[in-house]
Amino acid sequence: MKISGIKYLTGEGVKNAWVNRLMTLASIGVLVACMVIIGLAILISENVNKAIGNLEQQNVVMAYMKDYSWALYGEKDTTSEAQSSEATSDAVAEGGEDAVAEEEADVNGIKPSDYVIHNDDEAKALCDKIAKLPNVASVTYVTGDEGLESVKKSMLEGQESYFTFLDEEYGNPLPGSAKVTMKDMSQFDSTLEQIKQMDGISAIQSQDDLADKITAIKRGITIAGFWIIVILMVISLVIVSNTIRVTMYNRKLEISIMKAVGATDSFVRIPFVVEGILIGVISALIAEGLLYFCYRVATETIISTLGTNDIVRYGDVAVMLLLIFIGIGVFAGVLGSVIMISKYLRREGSEFAAI
Amino acid sequence: MEERLIDSENRASAKPIIEFRGVSKTYPTGTHAIEDVNIRITAGEFVFVVGSSGAGKSTFMKLIMREEKANTGIITVNGFNLTSMPRKQVPMLRRTMGIVFQDFRLIPTMNVFQNVAFAMHVVGASDRDVRREVSKALSKVGLGHKARSMPAQLSGGEQQRVGLARALVNSPDLIIADEPTGNVDPNMSYEIVSLLTEINKRGTTVLMVTHDHNLVRDFQHRVIMLERGKIVADNAGGSF
Repeated sequence: MKISGIKYLTGEGVKNAWVNRLMTLASIGVLVACMVIIGLAILISENVNKAIGNLEQQNVVMAYMKDYSWALYGEKDTTSEAQSSEATSDAVAEGGEDAVAEEEADVNGIKPSDYVIHNDDEAKALCDKIAKLPNVASVTYVTGDEGLESVKKSMLEGQESYFTFLDEEYGNPLPGSAKVTMKDMSQFDSTLEQIKQMDGISAIQSQDDLADKITAIKRGITIAGFWIIVILMVISLVIVSNTIRVTMYNRKLEISIMKAVGATDSFVRIPFVVEGILIGVISALIAEGLLYFCYRVATETIISTLGTNDIVRYGDVAVMLLLIFIGIGVFAGVLGSVIMISKYLRREGSEFAAI
Repeated sequence: MEERLIDSENRASAKPIIEFRGVSKTYPTGTHAIEDVNIRITAGEFVFVVGSSGAGKSTFMKLIMREEKANTGIITVNGFNLTSMPRKQVPMLRRTMGIVFQDFRLIPTMNVFQNVAFAMHVVGASDRDVRREVSKALSKVGLGHKARSMPAQLSGGEQQRVGLARALVNSPDLIIADEPTGNVDPNMSYEIVSLLTEINKRGTTVLMVTHDHNLVRDFQHRVIMLERGKIVADNAGGSF
């Protein structure tokens, strides 16, 4: 097609939208509403994901180690006892009589073979081993002393004296631990099992429920968001199609003359497609501006009321939202007009002699 | 344009521009609109098609424009075999003909110039060609001075002349006029048929449906008379 033809058809499309401006405005209004709702769904989803991300970061798993404190205070199960006796047997096998003779119990009656992690190096090596698990995001080694300090800080005044007493009288009751965060909460249980199986881990403290809840919320938001977008896309398509249909019937005479003088179907179709795209793009720009304004007001209110600043900034999602809006607008405009005009041309558009 | 059977040089000779061979058309309702019609119209002829209401004139015209497809028989128009022609070739067929409607069919929101130019834009003509050809066509019908007028500001006869300019602007080989004088006064009717006759003298074939027997008698062209879907008379020189 020649440039003059494209210019003419584009002009006709814009003229269509203008001549039919009341219907065009109504369509833009409904499309903007659909886009704003879609945008809100996306923004809510982004904010919930951010909040969940923070929760995930807080959903720390503490893997306690079989160190001296564990040997002193911990409840040993048969497996650990068996391990201890195995360790003793190994020591016997390696060092013979002398090794047994060398292993002496300390004032608390604890022998080195009673526990697995004897020093910080061994503890850090265990942390490195945990860090190598595929679903582990980070591992931090927390010494028994650090753990005790943390516990004391979390207690009310006076309550921490029990721990101070234990620490001074017998030694720190808290074993060293690995502070673990995970990448994917849906694999929480299997990762937990892998850590549990490691030699040197006595117990694990976690919030299984929270992990399950986070996974369920994420899935729920994804499904709800998907359906909201699908339903509103269908509504947008119907609205644009309807506007195009009205324009088409208004231009019935022109279409009949076009057909009579030898216009191809695509030539007849193009102005309507241009009109559809125009409606879609104008709606996208208005929706973007409106959403920006509403979101800014909402976030400013939330920040000043709740004092939190942990909210997705509009600037971070602005381009993505604009592209989504334009995508929806152009999709609805092109598809809506093509469907309508094709149906019309097939059924009655060529009946120029029957007007 | 594979469907094109003959070139413009051949059309200028005695070869038929419209040919019906054993053509019948029955609508799904069971109405036999055209029955076993055989006709041959050569390039450069002026033909009146007459007949009472329901005689099959409209179907005859629709078949020529490929608005309807024949059930049986072969139709050839302007070198296109309408029987085997795919739907997407229809616009190409129509670009070889100009159509004049009884009710003018002018777009009320466009001025005279734009109404005529519209037919050229549709076939993808450049702006320069549009300006030149539209002015020429309007001059031919004597409306060069009313290019900026709106259809509502024109008389019925003037409106029909705009319709005629629109039919002429793409220089078609064939003009199909469906009762072009049906909505104008007798004086203007003579003026319109005179214009068509002038156009015909320059080599364009004209096929005109009419009810006006006076016009048929006065202009002395070939007359095809249809009755109940059949050709009952085909006479030269305005007699029927």
